[in-house]
Amino acid sequence: MKIAVSAKQIPDPAIEPTYENGSLFRPDEQVLDDTDRYGIELALQIKEAMDAEVIVISMGPEGTQKGIKQALQMGPDRAILVSDPELKNSNSLTTAKVIANLIKRLNIDYFICGVESTDGYTGLVPQQVSRIIKFPCISFIKSAEITEGKIIAERQTDFGYETLTIPKKGVLSVTAGGVEPRYPNFKEILAAKNKEVEILSLNDLEIKGNNSLKYRNIIQSNIKKAGEKIVDEGNGAEIIFNKLKELKAV
Amino acid sequence: MKVLIVGEINENKISTNSLELINKAKDISSEIFVCTVGSSEKVEAQIEGIECTYIKTNQNILSTHSVADAIKEFTDLHSIKVILCSSTYLGRDIAAFLSADYDSAAVTNVIDIDASSAFTVTTAINGGKELYTTDIESDIKIVVIRPKSFAPIESEISNITIDNILVIKNSELDVKIEKLNIEEKSGPQLEDASLVISAGRGLGEAKNLNIINDLAFKLDAAVGATRAIVDAGWVPYSYQVGQTGKTVKPDIYIACGISGATQHQVGMKDSKYIIAINKDEDAAIFQIADLGIVGDVHQVIPQLINLI
Repeated sequence: MKIAVSAKQIPDPAIEPTYENGSLFRPDEQVLDDTDRYGIELALQIKEAMDAEVIVISMGPEGTQKGIKQALQMGPDRAILVSDPELKNSNSLTTAKVIANLIKRLNIDYFICGVESTDGYTGLVPQQVSRIIKFPCISFIKSAEITEGKIIAERQTDFGYETLTIPKKGVLSVTAGGVEPRYPNFKEILAAKNKEVEILSLNDLEIKGNNSLKYRNIIQSNIKKAGEKIVDEGNGAEIIFNKLKELKAV
Repeated sequence: MKVLIVGEINENKISTNSLELINKAKDISSEIFVCTVGSSEKVEAQIEGIECTYIKTNQNILSTHSVADAIKEFTDLHSIKVILCSSTYLGRDIAAFLSADYDSAAVTNVIDIDASSAFTVTTAINGGKELYTTDIESDIKIVVIRPKSFAPIESEISNITIDNILVIKNSELDVKIEKLNIEEKSGPQLEDASLVISAGRGLGEAKNLNIINDLAFKLDAAVGATRAIVDAGWVPYSYQVGQTGKTVKPDIYIACGISGATQHQVGMKDSKYIIAINKDEDAAIFQIADLGIVGDVHQVIPQLINLI
């Protein structure tokens, strides 16, 4: 079995992002999007139960490759990075086309990823990939368990969740908290140093990107100003209570 | 410019989210179509003066690809140029599938549309401090809209007639659902409540949520949560308020032990009155709170419960 997992390298999310002409500024050193750790974890659990090769797929500027190394340290076998100046600023559909192309080439059984990246929050790529490669799509997985050669998943719905058995092939997106991502151990950190990172360009893939979105501008929003801030000296509850009375909530 | 709204069902009736999209669509065009998707037998999804279709699914089959096939057929038949979906599980799947079908990059998290000259959509970035606008230049435009971005339409709604029901075809991409699990929640619905009390990491541990629940019960409020405590497994995902969760705009929002990450602010910053309780006087939540109490939630909330 072959499983592909996504590993997006993103700017450190603790730092407020900046934009240059509408595109997110990406420093040389980018980190693994925590969202991807859930997909990688599920892939590794499947590998442990059923024997599979787990391949990390990433797209974006090469930089220091820190994020890809972080992904490999969790335990996947190797990584493929598609990096091309032409891909700068690409929209979700172009990203999905690149991933779909790789999945077809590699003859992948499952593509597993997070629900949405922490830098773009578009949340379309898993489903777009499934549509392009004509795989069943099980999005928003909130928990998964592997028993007797079957992957049983719970999928989030508006009113609760639905339980289903994952088919033989599929695109799976895992919500934050869906599985418990492992911390890399010393052995895996060492092993990751020798894992292959193959770098491909658009020429290697023969893809026509999508160019239908045009950045217009960024404007300041009418953000609301802070109101009063009072240090509780035993009267905090009363202040809130009086305000709730004034607002006719009590 | 023909506009199609992908509607959804809530308790056998077209959802409020869908009614918001229909209202906005009227700004954009006079030719509006609605395809509502659901598995109920009988639904109130016929909006006065609008051509409405009900796409009926089987609740025991995950058939999102088949639903997208049906919507694509409808779109082609009627030469639809704009497709609007809500930012829900179904809406996001369908928009993505159609985006691949039509080679049209969809835009998600949209809070406004301006179709007066170009087709421009607005999304919020950096927790809503800035607005990012994009022109969609594809032939068929696909937009996923955040709930509560527009007021719902107030037209008469009646039962859909049998002639307007479209039963979807099966597809080899369908997945059988073995069990449907409904999470019962008491009290008002999070999205509709006029008062929301949300909890964050500052509560310390899951068992301390009982003070939040007690306060919510006394005030007839809905309970919300940050992504951090949802990830930690304290409450189900359906409680989550923020970028990846629900958008709420209650009259009063009480943030308890919430630091106020931008991802959380996106889901609640438009509440009419925000009260925040947090030990850390530098917590970002105080920047948007109308009333901020720098204090310990474990003391302030029980005292407040006693006062009510």
